[in-house]
Amino acid sequence: MSFSDATAAVSDELAARDDIIICDSVDKWYGDFQALKGVSATIKEREVVVVLGPSGSGKSTWIRCINRLEQHQSGRIIVDGVELTNDTRNIEKIRSEVGMVFQQFNLFPHLSVIDNISLAPLWVRKRPRAEAERLASDLLERVGIPEQAEKFPGQLSGGQQQRVAIARALAMEPRIMLFDEPTSALDPEMIKEVLDVMKELAVGGMTMMVVTHEMGFAREVADRVIFMESGEIVEAGTPEHFFTDPQEDRTKLFLSQIL
Amino acid sequence: MSSELEHLARGTAELIANADEREAEDAASRPDEPSLPPLQWLKVNLFSSVLNTALTIVFGLAGVLAYQRLLNWAFSHERNWDAVRVNMRALFTFTYPSSQYGRIWVTLGIVLTLAGLSLGLSRMVGQGLSLKRISIWCMAWGGAVIAGIVLVQPHAKRSADGEILLDADFEPVRESFGTAMADRGWWWLIGVLLLATGLAIWVILGDLKRRKTFVGAIPFTLGVLAFAVSTLWWFHWGNYGQQGDIIEPGRTVKDSAKLPWTAMWFVLTGAYLVGRRISATDRAASVRVVVNLSWLLAPFITFWVILRDPQIDYAHVMSTDLPMALGFMIGGGALLFFLTKPDLGEIGRILGVGLFGIAIFNWVAAFFGIYPMLQKARISFLLLALVALAAHNFAGERAQRLRFVYAWAAVMAILHYLVTMINAPSTVDAPDEFVGGFLVTVYIAVFTMIFSFPLGVLLALGRTSTLPIFRVLSTIYIETVRGVPFITILFFFSTFLNIFLPDGMEIEQLAAAGLGFALFSAAYLAENIRGGLQAVRRGQYEASDALGLSTVQRTGFIVLPQALRVSIPPLVGATISTFKETSLLAIIGIIDFLRVANSVIPGQTVFLGVRMEGLLFVCMIYWIGAYSMSKFSQRLERHLGVGEN
Repeated sequence: MSFSDATAAVSDELAARDDIIICDSVDKWYGDFQALKGVSATIKEREVVVVLGPSGSGKSTWIRCINRLEQHQSGRIIVDGVELTNDTRNIEKIRSEVGMVFQQFNLFPHLSVIDNISLAPLWVRKRPRAEAERLASDLLERVGIPEQAEKFPGQLSGGQQQRVAIARALAMEPRIMLFDEPTSALDPEMIKEVLDVMKELAVGGMTMMVVTHEMGFAREVADRVIFMESGEIVEAGTPEHFFTDPQEDRTKLFLSQIL
Repeated sequence: MSSELEHLARGTAELIANADEREAEDAASRPDEPSLPPLQWLKVNLFSSVLNTALTIVFGLAGVLAYQRLLNWAFSHERNWDAVRVNMRALFTFTYPSSQYGRIWVTLGIVLTLAGLSLGLSRMVGQGLSLKRISIWCMAWGGAVIAGIVLVQPHAKRSADGEILLDADFEPVRESFGTAMADRGWWWLIGVLLLATGLAIWVILGDLKRRKTFVGAIPFTLGVLAFAVSTLWWFHWGNYGQQGDIIEPGRTVKDSAKLPWTAMWFVLTGAYLVGRRISATDRAASVRVVVNLSWLLAPFITFWVILRDPQIDYAHVMSTDLPMALGFMIGGGALLFFLTKPDLGEIGRILGVGLFGIAIFNWVAAFFGIYPMLQKARISFLLLALVALAAHNFAGERAQRLRFVYAWAAVMAILHYLVTMINAPSTVDAPDEFVGGFLVTVYIAVFTMIFSFPLGVLLALGRTSTLPIFRVLSTIYIETVRGVPFITILFFFSTFLNIFLPDGMEIEQLAAAGLGFALFSAAYLAENIRGGLQAVRRGQYEASDALGLSTVQRTGFIVLPQALRVSIPPLVGATISTFKETSLLAIIGIIDFLRVANSVIPGQTVFLGVRMEGLLFVCMIYWIGAYSMSKFSQRLERHLGVGEN
């Protein structure tokens, strides 16, 4: 899908907002294998975008390119007005505005929960220790587990760990949150608690890009759904349009397999 | 800055403490298994199958035979254990003058104080020893003593002059079995006491109480040590001499050693109790940091200041050393205060790089003999440049910046103090080096570990770095050092290093050997740590990057703590190896612990050719040291959860 198509799927109300992520014909190769083929999309401020697709479609690669965990070879990615290039100062600026939550949580096992969350504000934003710890406790309350502050990641359940990971990302007060299959490694009974936190974030006005297989979440919370396959964007639209009246054959095939 | 380190240390230590919780929870939920009655235990463990029975019989017999042989050798009339007794001082401190021996005791006292404090403050407190285990030990040792009494061949008879009586075949005439058994009264007493104690515990307490009642491992060890020290007061340990050749038949080991050793025991126990007391209070964390810093300083202060007793030239100190130290403390401090301003920008990096350039120039100029400067100044300048480059990582609010500057001033003060001390000549009245015997073994081993560990970490990080220059340099260093036999490095450093250094720079032999040791050990440590680095999951790097941590912060806060935790088994192995490898110093002429037993004692006129007794004693001491380190490492691994996931 070309630049204009993905943008055209945005509703009028959203169209009035600022562009916060602009991807223009982004290509990425791993050796000879092309993981992203001319991906173009614009994410608006406070928009919640859910990226769907079969495995290997390039969804994780795409959002990892946005905070430079992967490097794109051609095309442009512009985040909050800053272009993503090899210049480390740009990368640092972008990373301080973009928070990420991983499928495997990636909490720091040798630090307590409160230290995990307060580490970045303390050393990257140079906040005083007392302020950083207060921020961390507030965030822990917000994700619903204030009593776990002194515990270590190894002592928490998967759902609790992922919520701590979300709090850790939020501690940097980012403008954008990226979620790379946040519930895929969780047992079913713990998925809800994490989705609830994400829902609350969305309602609070955070710009979110979520790669997930949770269709319920997409339907309820997303402002826009983007479907990717084999490295390119196949279709995009509002959840109502996407789930009830998909246009492309590939989209229909995918939906028939999972719904 | 120190409170952040404190916080991190606390965090890692919490992990340790929480491990105990988990262990206790696990233990509580497991069903209680009573121990097997003795006959059944034997049946299950030793005689369960035909093969098992055969192995038990074969190895049992072999063990008994070996035990008998060893004891026969040790207690034979041909043995001259006086060689070890008389030369105790020579073995441990070689030629350290008797008049200044108090310094040795002060040093030992300092080490034991720190050890006791560390043990008391430690949160690596395990369950302890169960009474079942203790009673089994008592019975086993008691049985071993009694078996020994029965197995060792009867002693040879001596004539009135003390000569060995020989029979027709020139074999020694031995007393009868009955006489031998009667003669060994003291040994019977010990054996029976041990056996009886063990049996008493076994019989009086039931199985459940035996298994569930625990005695702390450290209090138990202190108790055993107390008994050992007390033997100095009532058991005649033998004669004692001074410097090998000189024997004073009248003086016994008891006379000179009982008071200091008793004092040492009280120092250790007292420190342990104080440590325990403090660990229950709020101040525990800060005290732990102070104790650890003291451990770091202790080798330098004890060896360079206390044991060397340097003669300070106060005129020189006032005119040169003190102003230089103050200059670096205050001037450097001011510069660093400026560089830690939060929004400094490019000026910080430019200044840092500029300073680094000047520092390198100083060193290069030194090699070509131009622009002379005191070695101390060159080192301080280089340190200042390196810290200035890293200063922006410590930018923050005023209080934090001030703490950083104070830390710099403290490091400079200590560094200049120590260098002034080491440059001042020693007043200890010893022929060659002031350290010899076990003292030099500990000296080299400790200094090697202190210097090779940070260097090893840097090399490991360099070898896995993304920057080609670091990678290439580190790899060249590691592969060169690993490809060369250690002895050649020792030879090179002790003999040729001074030839390669420019005029004015000189390193004495022992320091050069220590340097070679440290550089060698660092390469091997680097490989161990690199293994640990590779065990850190990629997700940790990604999460740190996503949070915006700089590479330095990521390495220091996230990667290294996890990598080092995994590397503990090989690192402790390297420490044990270093401890034993110090015996190679003998090759370059330094009289270390092993060489005293191997060359010095057999060379003494009174003990000509007596080698094995000394060597056996040396082996025992090495074994005690290595085994303690190994046990400590096991405890550390268990509490850090190494091997679990």
